[in-house]
Amino acid sequence: MSRSATASSQPLPGAYVFRIYIAGGQPNSVRALANLYTLCRQHFPESHRIEVIDILKEPMRALAEAILVTPTVVKVSPAPEQQMIGNLNDENEVLRALGLPRTKTS
Amino acid sequence: MIVKKRARIVEKISTGIEGFDDITGGGLPRGRTTLIMGGPGCGKTVLVLQALVNAATRHGVPGIFVSFEENAELVEENAESFGWDMVELQKKLLYFLNAQLTPDAVKVGEFDLTALLAGLEAKATEMGAKLVVFDALDVLLSLLDDWAAERRELYRIQAWLKRTGLTGILTTKTEEDKSPTAPRYGFMPFMADAVVVLRQRVIDRVAVREMRLVKYRGSPHVLNEVPFVIGEDGVEVGASNGIHPEPQPFKMRVSTGIDRLDGMLEGGIYRGTNVLITGSAGTGKSMLSGLFLEAACRRGERALFVSFDENSRDIVRDLSSVGVRLAPHLKSGLLHIEAVRTEAASSEEHLIRIKRLIREHKPACIAVDPFSALVKVGGELAARNVAERLIYLCRNERITAFLTSLIEGTDVTLETTPLHISTLADSWLQLSYSLHGGERNRALTIIKSRGSKHSNQMRELIFSDSGITLTDPYTAGGEVLMGTLRIEKENAVRTLAERKRHEVDHKRREVELILAARDLRLAGTQRDLLDCSEELDTLARAEMTITSEGTQRQDAVVRKRDNELVKEQANGAKPAGGKPRKRSKAAGKQP
Repeated sequence: MSRSATASSQPLPGAYVFRIYIAGGQPNSVRALANLYTLCRQHFPESHRIEVIDILKEPMRALAEAILVTPTVVKVSPAPEQQMIGNLNDENEVLRALGLPRTKTS
Repeated sequence: MIVKKRARIVEKISTGIEGFDDITGGGLPRGRTTLIMGGPGCGKTVLVLQALVNAATRHGVPGIFVSFEENAELVEENAESFGWDMVELQKKLLYFLNAQLTPDAVKVGEFDLTALLAGLEAKATEMGAKLVVFDALDVLLSLLDDWAAERRELYRIQAWLKRTGLTGILTTKTEEDKSPTAPRYGFMPFMADAVVVLRQRVIDRVAVREMRLVKYRGSPHVLNEVPFVIGEDGVEVGASNGIHPEPQPFKMRVSTGIDRLDGMLEGGIYRGTNVLITGSAGTGKSMLSGLFLEAACRRGERALFVSFDENSRDIVRDLSSVGVRLAPHLKSGLLHIEAVRTEAASSEEHLIRIKRLIREHKPACIAVDPFSALVKVGGELAARNVAERLIYLCRNERITAFLTSLIEGTDVTLETTPLHISTLADSWLQLSYSLHGGERNRALTIIKSRGSKHSNQMRELIFSDSGITLTDPYTAGGEVLMGTLRIEKENAVRTLAERKRHEVDHKRREVELILAARDLRLAGTQRDLLDCSEELDTLARAEMTITSEGTQRQDAVVRKRDNELVKEQANGAKPAGGKPRKRSKAAGKQP
């Protein structure tokens, strides 16, 4: 199951594409999803796409894509691919992993 | 009637690992969690892998192996080295999951293992898996921030296993030196139903592996620390608990290779039993072992010689000096000599090696020389355990065994064995030196021999170019004579016999002479007798002639006379012959 979060279904060139693996409505998964939406809205409001995979619904994908923990967020593009594990509460780590400047608000 | 309900004993999954199923009373708890703990290089991965492979190959039970630390390919390679066909197994029965996080993954907050468990559950359902192994769980747990999180995830795994009904095996590393203070070491055993601790120690510079079943909920189990090894075929646990099946003893006798010894033992030792030979250095233990095996080979039986710290060539050479020829049997393949370096391995590993040799060579007779070498490595307790199991193995396989045991020192009265296996041995031959009259002579005594009457006398053991034999017993003043004393005694006996024979000879010749003389005399007498009777005949004839001449002359005169008168005259002349007279010519030769 995946859904696009951008207005247009076509990702723009240079757009940020994320894949997030969640486990149904588990608290960490819900939090991760919320954090990811916030991040995308803040940093790339016009050019991002989020693919959400619910492991509880597609469990075989966890093995096929070597996903051990939920939530796991994968930055698919721009290259290189970057894997982040956890609920994205640690914003500084998230920004550092993505190579983004610190937000003024934090 | 009130029947006391027996507590339900946990159902078990056999691991097929020799010894392990013995200490666990049948295997791992089915549908429960088993934890294997141990320092690095203890053999945790091999143990669980083997359990998984055995379940798959022997019982067709599918299983999943999740590797958190080692790359799954490495694990597979490792498994292949034990001869397990991973390619074939992975087609249907085994699933390997590489569960390492990508090294550049960044931790950005709390997470849990739901993804992995959900994936595994789907896979398990798909392939019908009953067993799941989490190898190096500690690596996974170390990703978590705090011990509360670790605990939470462990609970998650436990709950998941319970819900899915899978039998779980978890392995985790413990630090050798550090006491297990990390909370996970305390908590993990608590949550598991069975806990096995593996340990690797170095005793006398020899590495020894040991395992202990610390806990097994709902099942009786062996609590002792037991040795184990990782051999060519995987893990083997040296358990010697429980009752070993005693095969029916053979009624057939086997020669020891020394006729006289067989005689002392009522015709040899029983096939399938073992003979313990004790003695100090140089008393001839190896020689006896060699002789026994040579005899076996000559009967066409397969034989195995396990020699500690002496190489095959030396053994053949040494034995040929006393007329024991092993070389032809080595060439024909009936005999196999395995030279083992004592210090190269622990006693447990030696046993594994001997076991494999027995499996491969299939000997009917075996000699282990010296058996006591096992004590030199890995501690006495372990060695005794190994010794016991080797004896049981031989008994079960109906292999006739000669086991030698070195006794240090020259105290001939010392009759203890370093391995305390004398009670296990079926027969016990004691070789010793008898010190007497400034000599050191080899002697053999049968201390025991189960199921047969045996000579209780000490005999001298003689090694010579022409072979090995036991002498006849000579006793004097309550002591068995040996060496020079025996030779003197033998000589004395021989001289006496010689003298007796001479005397008899002499007497016989004398009597023969007398006999001859008498014969001669007898012949003379007979001749005389004959002569006399012949003379008598001649005389009679002469008389007859004279008488008839007279008669004829008178005829003319008397013819005209009365017939009756003539008759009277003829009758009266006839009895005039008389008796023959005796002559005494040869009477002077009386003895």
